[in-house]
Amino acid sequence: MRLLTHNALRNNAAAAKGKGFPLRITATEVEVKDSCPFDEHRLVFVEGLLSTLDWSALIEAASQLGIPTLPPVLTEDLAEDPEFLEALHHVLMNVHLIQGILTCPATGREFPVRDGIPNMVLEEEDCEHVRY
Amino acid sequence: MSRPELTGHASLFYNEKEARKYDSSSRMIGVQREITERAVELLRLDDSKPSLVLDIGCGSGLSGQVLEERGHVWLGCDVSRDMLTVAKEHEEDTKVLQSTGDLMHHDMGSGLPFRPATFDACISISALQWLCYSNSAAQNPRKRLTRFFSSLYTVLKRGGRAVLQFYPETAEQAVLISETATKVGFAGGVVVDYPNSAKAKKHYLVLSFDRSLAPRRGALGTAEQDQKQQHVTVGEALGSNKGKKQPPRKKKGIKTKEWILHKKDAQRTKGKDVRPDTKYTARRRRGKF
Repeated sequence: MRLLTHNALRNNAAAAKGKGFPLRITATEVEVKDSCPFDEHRLVFVEGLLSTLDWSALIEAASQLGIPTLPPVLTEDLAEDPEFLEALHHVLMNVHLIQGILTCPATGREFPVRDGIPNMVLEEEDCEHVRY
Repeated sequence: MSRPELTGHASLFYNEKEARKYDSSSRMIGVQREITERAVELLRLDDSKPSLVLDIGCGSGLSGQVLEERGHVWLGCDVSRDMLTVAKEHEEDTKVLQSTGDLMHHDMGSGLPFRPATFDACISISALQWLCYSNSAAQNPRKRLTRFFSSLYTVLKRGGRAVLQFYPETAEQAVLISETATKVGFAGGVVVDYPNSAKAKKHYLVLSFDRSLAPRRGALGTAEQDQKQQHVTVGEALGSNKGKKQPPRKKKGIKTKEWILHKKDAQRTKGKDVRPDTKYTARRRRGKF
C-alpha cells in the first residue's frame, strides 16, 4: 500500500461518525522500491495532487514509517520547486507498506495490511446507514 | 455457467482456482480489455494530465493495465482476496516494476472508505451487477446500491466522471441501478453498445455531476451565439403568449383558385400539357338536378 492510498483511506463505519481519518499505521514491514519513476508526466500529477492531499496526515504517516524527508508545512514556494515535488512523489508512490496494521483514530478498529493489500472489509451491521 | 452472481458471494466464486482461470484466459483478457478501452473513452480523461482513478472490482488488474498505459494512477478495490493476490503476483511476475496501481481488499456494497473529493474519475468493469444480489439475510441490494452510489458521489471530485460497465440480468435491474445513481444526485444514464446482439451487448452507466451538456467552445463561437440568440427569441415569444388564448386558425379552403393556378404553373414548368387559364378556371359546376 502506498502512502498516496493511505492519504485517501478513511474508516467509513457507522461507529466512526466520519472521523475515521487518518488511520494510524503500525508497520512491521516497509519496502522502498522505485516502482514509479519520476518524469514530467508525474510532475504534473503531483502538482495536481497538492490541492487534495491532507498534509498533516501525510507527514504523520511518513514519520510512522520512519521517513522524515518532508517539511512540516507546505508553503507556496515549495509547491513550485521541482526538487521538492520529486521528493514528495517518491514518498507518495515508492514507499510501500507491506505488512502492518491500520488503526482507526475514532473507534480503534484495526485493519490488517497483508502482502501490501489493506483489508478494509466491513460487516453489514458496521456499515454507514444511508437513507433511501 | 451463465450468471455467476446467482451462485453466491463474489469472493466465493472468484476463489484461487477461478481467479487463475480468469487471469489466464486470453478470451477473457481480450473482452475485458476491449470493454475497459471503451469505458476509458467514455470517461473522457485528459491523457496529458494524469488522473487518480478508482477502479472498483479491479479483479486481477486487467482494467488497471489500460489506465496505466495511458499514464494514469489507479487504485483498485475488489471483494475477492484471491483475485487481488493474482493481481499482486502479476505485478511482480512480469517484472513490470513500474506500476502506478495500488490494491485494496474491500466490498463496494459497504460504501467506499475514502475521504471526500479524492478521485478524478472512477471506472468499474463487470462488477456492478453483483450488488443486485444479496448473499445473506442482512444484505439488502437496494440499500447496498444506495450506499455504494452515495459514497461514490462524495469521493469523486466535482467535475469528475464515473463509467461503470455492468451486465444486468433483466431490464428492471438496469433501471434499479441507474435509478439509484440518479437518486443520490448523479446526472447521466446508460449507454448501450451493440444493442441488437444478445452476446456482445454491453451496458455502461455513465455518471457525472453536470446536469446539462455545456456546448463546446472554440471555432464555432459565432454560430453558437446565433443559436443562443434564437433560443432567447423563442423563449420570449412563448412568454408573451402566456395566458392569452390563441384565436382558432381559419381553415384554408382546399382547391381554391390560387391553389389551382399555382398547380397548373408547376405542371407547365415541368413541360406538361396543361389547359390554358380562362375565366372558367376553378369555377364550381352548377348543382345537379
